[in-house]
Amino acid sequence: MPPAAYPAGAIVRDDVDSTWKTLRDGIDSIMTNLQQGLDLQDYMRLYTTVHNFCTSQKAVQFGTNQLGGHRGAHLLGEDLYKLLTKYLTDHLKDLAAESKTHKDEALLSFYIKEWDRYTNAAKYVHHIFRYLNRHWVKREMDEGKKNVYDVYTLHLVQWREVLFNDVSVRVMDAVLKLVEKHRNGETIEHSQIKLVVDSFISLGLDEGDSTKPTMDVYRYHFERPFIDATKVFYQEESKQFVAENSVVEYMKKAESRLAEEEERVGLYLPGDIIIPLKKACNEVLIQEHSNLLRDEFQGLLDGNKEDDMKRMYSLLSRIPQGLDPLRTKFENHVRKAGLAAVAKVASDAEKLEPKVYVDALLETHTQYRNLVKTAFNDEAEFTRSLDNACREFVNRNEVCKAGSNKSPELLAKYTDILLRKSSTGAEDNTLEETLGQIMTVFKYIEDKDVFQKFYSRMLARRLVHSNSSSDDAETSMISKLKEACGFEYTTKLQRMFQDMQISKDLNNGYKAHVAALQGSADEEGKGLDSTYSVLGTGFWPLTAPGTNFNPPQEVAKDCERFVRFYKNKHDGRKLTWLWQLCKGEVKANYVRNARMAYSFQVSVYQMAILLLFNEKDKNTYEEIAETTQLNAEALDPSLGILLKAKVLTSAGNKNGAGATYALNYDFKNKKFRVNLNVGMKSETKAEEAETNKTIEEDRKLLLQSAIVRIMKARKKMKHQQLVSETINQIRGRFVPKVADIKKCIEILLDKEYLERLEDEELGYLA
Amino acid sequence: MSDTKVSQISLMSNDGTTIRVDRAVAERSILIKNLIDDLGEDSVADQAIPINNVNDPVLKKVIEWCEHHKNDAAVSTDDDNDNRKKTTDIDEWDQKFMQVDQEMLFEIILAANFMDIKALLDVGCKTVANMIKGKSPDEIRKTFNITNDFTPEEEEQIRRENEWAEDR
Repeated sequence: MPPAAYPAGAIVRDDVDSTWKTLRDGIDSIMTNLQQGLDLQDYMRLYTTVHNFCTSQKAVQFGTNQLGGHRGAHLLGEDLYKLLTKYLTDHLKDLAAESKTHKDEALLSFYIKEWDRYTNAAKYVHHIFRYLNRHWVKREMDEGKKNVYDVYTLHLVQWREVLFNDVSVRVMDAVLKLVEKHRNGETIEHSQIKLVVDSFISLGLDEGDSTKPTMDVYRYHFERPFIDATKVFYQEESKQFVAENSVVEYMKKAESRLAEEEERVGLYLPGDIIIPLKKACNEVLIQEHSNLLRDEFQGLLDGNKEDDMKRMYSLLSRIPQGLDPLRTKFENHVRKAGLAAVAKVASDAEKLEPKVYVDALLETHTQYRNLVKTAFNDEAEFTRSLDNACREFVNRNEVCKAGSNKSPELLAKYTDILLRKSSTGAEDNTLEETLGQIMTVFKYIEDKDVFQKFYSRMLARRLVHSNSSSDDAETSMISKLKEACGFEYTTKLQRMFQDMQISKDLNNGYKAHVAALQGSADEEGKGLDSTYSVLGTGFWPLTAPGTNFNPPQEVAKDCERFVRFYKNKHDGRKLTWLWQLCKGEVKANYVRNARMAYSFQVSVYQMAILLLFNEKDKNTYEEIAETTQLNAEALDPSLGILLKAKVLTSAGNKNGAGATYALNYDFKNKKFRVNLNVGMKSETKAEEAETNKTIEEDRKLLLQSAIVRIMKARKKMKHQQLVSETINQIRGRFVPKVADIKKCIEILLDKEYLERLEDEELGYLA
Repeated sequence: MSDTKVSQISLMSNDGTTIRVDRAVAERSILIKNLIDDLGEDSVADQAIPINNVNDPVLKKVIEWCEHHKNDAAVSTDDDNDNRKKTTDIDEWDQKFMQVDQEMLFEIILAANFMDIKALLDVGCKTVANMIKGKSPDEIRKTFNITNDFTPEEEEQIRRENEWAEDR
């Protein structure tokens, strides 16, 4: 447009034709020749032309006649708007025709170039037509006219209607070809795709409100075909890859492909495609091969391929329900591994070392616990599978076949070994750790009451024989149990501890008392250096001795004094002597050829026997039995040990009725302190059996008390409900059988704690 | 557009007079602001922008207003949302500014419309509205020098139709 023809300032107020001619030339130059720059004069002239046309008097009259129904002043501009629309249509039609000559990357370049030019020009035209926008367009839009847009939007709408609908499929084809190249490892120009995407997004115009962009165009014309193409590409690739490679290799491939696609989003795809893209990739790369992957899992477990399992986990975790079958397999595998580990050590269940057994359990647990941590993201679901499996193999394995109480029993024994004073005792720091491991196994034990039984027995023994390795370790273990099972579970254990503490104070008091007596009147000569423990009947798993016993004079005197002392302090308490747990030390001054007097650590029974030999060198079995009042069950083993240690001798080593025992003056031993108070194998065996027997009894009581507790709270309850409620309450201790619960309910009905009501209901009788 | 190199530009009225003003002042006019954005500041560095539809006295007046208001909140280029006060309140300075003869008042309004200075356009229109407020038709006719071209019947009909708006 030669500026000379339209000198600045000489704006012609004229009819539509000449106005449009001026504008058309201007727009044309903006559209096609913007690089040349638009002259300041031209810019102002074009703006003024639009302004003047819209404000011209002549047009006002013309317009009013045409559109008499208009409310308020009629605004001019419709003609210009229509002409502009037509111009754009023609312009874009030409472009569409030209685009036919390009394809693939050339088409992309063409599209991007034209889009860039066009939208740039649109901005100029928009400003030049600002007066039209401000008045005519605004009025039309305010009145709710459809298909009237501000001038910039009009450009976009026209682009979409005329050009885009024509070329978008081909452009998209080119884009997809480019992406495929990229996926195949070629270098491409990302920016092209990014620009196309931006253009597609810009074309999303809300029909109702043109100022509000929508993603519709982008979704339909870009996202949809892109996702489809992605699926097809990976479907084919993965199918082929799987056919030629191992599953392990495929997982690596899939993993890297998934990462690649995510990277692609940052590179040239819009951020919000990530969700559908991921979904599509997950579907074709994982979902469609999920069975294949899962079939491989057992092999990986067997081979302990942590990295591959981790990879499989991360892949399958991307699809819904992807991991469930893995968890099931994992659970089975762990259970089998646990059972196998137990079977390996259980060849001789009778002689099974508690440590070996517990270690076998722990080893399996530790191994798979670590696997869950490293490969399965420490996920709660996998942890639950692990727990289920562990509970299974801890409670139901080859060792437990004989009796389900075996696991808690062995665990309690192992704990006892750890807590007992011994030369091989674990170091303090590792002890705490080992106790922690014990608790790990304990968590899985179903019959926690059995553990409690054995544990309290062994604790009692440790305390009474004061051979517990450390109070701290004992306390720590009890608090661990308390944490796991609640206050009630450890009450007795704690009371046992307390009793020992109280006894200590009591002994101090008693010693002072004895000293005072001796100070005042020197009666009775020297006393014994004695220590007493007073143990609460209800808390200690101990029973009175099964034999009569007539304590030796020396001991009896001190005992009586203690009883007097105690009764004086606590009137009305009944004291029962647990002779079988008493022990002492005697000095053997009689031994010939001894550099030093031997001292024997003996049970009080043995003491009674040995003291008889102060009177005479030989005693018959009957004489001993007569004086000590011990029955054969207690007497025979006590004598047996003395014979074995050669403290006493009998003709032909005969032990029992008819034998005569003589003191051995030629006794010899490497040590000067000789421990003769050794527990007898048969004794502990019997104890175990007894413990197991009491368990059943205790369980019945536990069940009954639970039932009564529930009924007391509820007053009335259906039979079925009561059973399940009881199971809930008691599960922390052991797994009750329904039949047992029913039996207990019957017992309570007989005892008239409960009554039968109508309709299967039970009532509580206070 | 924040790092502007050109701080002053020239405007040329239709009678050829050139006025130099701060760029910030000139950009109260959206027309000029858009123009500088589109063409770049180089194009206005040594060339006056021809304001074809405005004469020298009026342009001066418009610039005076812009000078005074250059620190007002920046005008958005597009938004026509009706945040502006619907009232006819005009601040004191603007009232004084608008104390001009009627012809000048209308010229200012036309110039503000052309140059796309919304706030000034509003002030102008409010001033005119205030001139109408509380006046009878005859008084309004007198004020703006309008001849009554309605027939008595037409006038009666219009009065009936707008009875609801009468201030009683």
